[in-house]
Amino acid sequence: MKIAQDAEMRMLDQMAADFAAKELVEAREDHDRYPFLPLFEDVLAKAHEVGFFTLLLPEAAGGGEQGISALSLILDDICRSDASLGGIIFTTALAHEMILKAKSEALLPPVASGDHSYREALIACPSFDNPGEAGNLLQAKGKGKKHMLSGSIEYVVLAGLCGRALLPAKVEGDESYSLFLVDLTSPGVEVSEPVFSLGLHACPACDLELKGVEATLVGRQGEGRAYFDAAVDKMFLAAAAMATGIMKGSFTEAFEYSLQRHQGGWEIINWSEVRMLLASLAIKCKVADMLLSEACRAAEADEAGWGLGARAAAIHVQELACDATTDGIQLLGGNGYMEDYGQEKRFRDAKQIQSLLGLTPMKRLDYIRRIREGEKPW
Amino acid sequence: MGPNRSKALLEREPRFDDMAVSLLAMPRLPKAMVKETKQAVELARRFNDTVVRPYALELDRKKHEDPDFLPWEFVEEANRWGLYTLCIPTLFGGQGVNFPALSYVLEELGSACTGMSNLVGVHYLGVATLCASWNMRLMNKVMRDTAEGEKTGEPCLISLAITEPGAGTDVEEVDLVSKAQVACQAKKVKGGYVVNGRKIFISNGHLSYWHMLVCYEDLKNPQDTVIMLAIHNGMKGFSFGRQERKMGQKGCPASELIFEDCFVPDDLVCINPAQGKKLKRSMKETHMQVIDYIVAASRAGVGAFGVGVARGAYEEALRFAGETEVDGKLLINHEWAQCMLAEMYKNVAVGRLTYEEANYANDLLGMFKVLEWKPIFYYLKYMPKPIMDKVIQPFLNLGAVTWLFRKIYFDWQKETDYQCSSGWGSLSKFTATDIGVKNGQLALEMMGRAGLRHDRGAEKHLRDSKLLQIYEGTNQLNRLNLFKCLIGRDVPGARVFEE
Repeated sequence: MKIAQDAEMRMLDQMAADFAAKELVEAREDHDRYPFLPLFEDVLAKAHEVGFFTLLLPEAAGGGEQGISALSLILDDICRSDASLGGIIFTTALAHEMILKAKSEALLPPVASGDHSYREALIACPSFDNPGEAGNLLQAKGKGKKHMLSGSIEYVVLAGLCGRALLPAKVEGDESYSLFLVDLTSPGVEVSEPVFSLGLHACPACDLELKGVEATLVGRQGEGRAYFDAAVDKMFLAAAAMATGIMKGSFTEAFEYSLQRHQGGWEIINWSEVRMLLASLAIKCKVADMLLSEACRAAEADEAGWGLGARAAAIHVQELACDATTDGIQLLGGNGYMEDYGQEKRFRDAKQIQSLLGLTPMKRLDYIRRIREGEKPW
Repeated sequence: MGPNRSKALLEREPRFDDMAVSLLAMPRLPKAMVKETKQAVELARRFNDTVVRPYALELDRKKHEDPDFLPWEFVEEANRWGLYTLCIPTLFGGQGVNFPALSYVLEELGSACTGMSNLVGVHYLGVATLCASWNMRLMNKVMRDTAEGEKTGEPCLISLAITEPGAGTDVEEVDLVSKAQVACQAKKVKGGYVVNGRKIFISNGHLSYWHMLVCYEDLKNPQDTVIMLAIHNGMKGFSFGRQERKMGQKGCPASELIFEDCFVPDDLVCINPAQGKKLKRSMKETHMQVIDYIVAASRAGVGAFGVGVARGAYEEALRFAGETEVDGKLLINHEWAQCMLAEMYKNVAVGRLTYEEANYANDLLGMFKVLEWKPIFYYLKYMPKPIMDKVIQPFLNLGAVTWLFRKIYFDWQKETDYQCSSGWGSLSKFTATDIGVKNGQLALEMMGRAGLRHDRGAEKHLRDSKLLQIYEGTNQLNRLNLFKCLIGRDVPGARVFEE
């Protein structure tokens, strides 16, 4: 990725690429068969060891105190091989970021890898939702820091893997929702079997049923939306990085295949329509890389309007990834549709991550709302 | 303006006969086709409600869990419902519903589950392949086995085995197969052929009894030495290999077929170069005619799968929009959602028009032209079954009947006939299947994370749809075939497959 310019970033880049090559590529097909085969727990433990689950947290909280560029770089590298691990990193980072925006890092227990398992480092949250759009939210009752939550919430990512979840819920009478930290082992919490989904099979989500479950308020009551909005611009970049990585993986696989597969008497790369498809895929990758790098740079520099740029990058790159991975399968023909190659998984994963952080059309409408409210479009 | 000059104007590209196929076909087709088609759609909708919808997600999940599972239960149910003989002509013991009606049936089934639609539709790909040889004796033998299987409750499906590990797209075009890495060979021996090689991605392979095997006598000269054999389960030297692990359409197995010194007697040869020598055209040209007859019909069918899956995705999105509140009101009352649903509806309607037009081309100029000629159509429809079976059927074993049909279908077929039907088949295939993927993507955009869940069904439509852009010739090959059939022919210097 273009943002890997300085020595530290290049080192991170190399480390993530090596990790992906060593831990993710060979057993990708088996990893993707969760929940029908065991979860890749050994990989998750190693990912925790190298600090992938605590990248954004301050050092005091046991984190790597990295910025969005580092997170994006790592997600790009990881998702070229297997976006499921990327989804786990993303979801935990989103939860961490919202907690940090609520200035509630004190709620985070220490998570250093030597003393704590990867499960303790993870926090579940509904990372495919913008809770502000949802029709039904959990209900919260109580005052001060302790509340009781009731109701049901769908598709809480990582809920089956870890002990804690950051959940949105509405206190009766409040205009907007609040965020609560919930111990998923508490009495009254019912966690479903993993919800089998289109993509990111090894980044499972579960439905939750809560009946009077004690929960800790994160930040101020009624301010959940503010924390989500403050965190989400940065996380849009992380989502764009995942899409960029998937696209790059798809291109690499297709390019290598086109040099080996024969049709009509020679390697298929010699057919110009194949080269056109490859070029289109390569151009999409390049555009995504440049867009993401620039958006990360603007975010790190805290330039005016970087948030809109991050959203634009994510919406555009995620759409590119859906188209690119469709062609990525096509270039391998029937083989591309089979699980033996990584292309069909990338197609599913790209579409899955397009729904991160809420409905895509609503993200577009929200984009224009912000411009209408005075943010400069460029 | 004289009549000759008018004719020349209508021959100018785009030829009137290619651009107004339905207009030309409709007056010539039997009116009873309408009633038959309505009844077939009713049957498909009842079958969907009773069999497909209650089982579609369960079967898909089961295949995720156990990739080697075979859906015999479904195939036996479809057999009981008569779906495997529905469009087999009464002449061969079937129900004789007109072939174009099959596309509507496949759309209906595909709207509920494309994998199950394939479990039915791919059998007719085998039927179409068998028919494209116009070997009336073997057509009668093999299709009557299917009819018998319906009576006994033991399904007797027919598959097409053509794709090889080293050659996919290549085997669907003679100009490519001449340079392809084909490896499945049939060597002439006394009394028959000995076959060696492998075929892969054979839809319904493990579930079929008969397999229409396309292989070659001379691997260095495949375009001139193509041979089609009828293989059945249990033949010595023939076995099944693995099932592929596909992204979607999981209910329908994609099988590997293995031939190791498999002896095939002469009476199971559908067509070979020796028979081809008796025809007007060269074997290479006849080879392409056979392919064009098959794909002109089968690609309209794949178009119908594409429309079906596009419709399924649209129907899931519509249901979701009508019951889900977003930003304080029902999604269906958001203007953008209404426009998105209208776009999806349009996609379905446009896709359907393409497979209908392709079928009209087949009615007029392609595989169905004899069956849908009014005198033959009504003769077959109203001829009492005992007379058909006892009086007419024995004539099918006469070489003269095969000779006559090959005369009609090979020697008397004009170049513009197969250009029109094959061109429209390709146009429908890539238009409708691109639409299938598009609607799958739009549905998931509208539904967000709800659409990602397996238990909602929408994501399955997207997974299922993608295969349609690949099999029966990739959409790139189909664009080239459209160019070859209806565009490049009138451009001096235009060459296809010759980069």
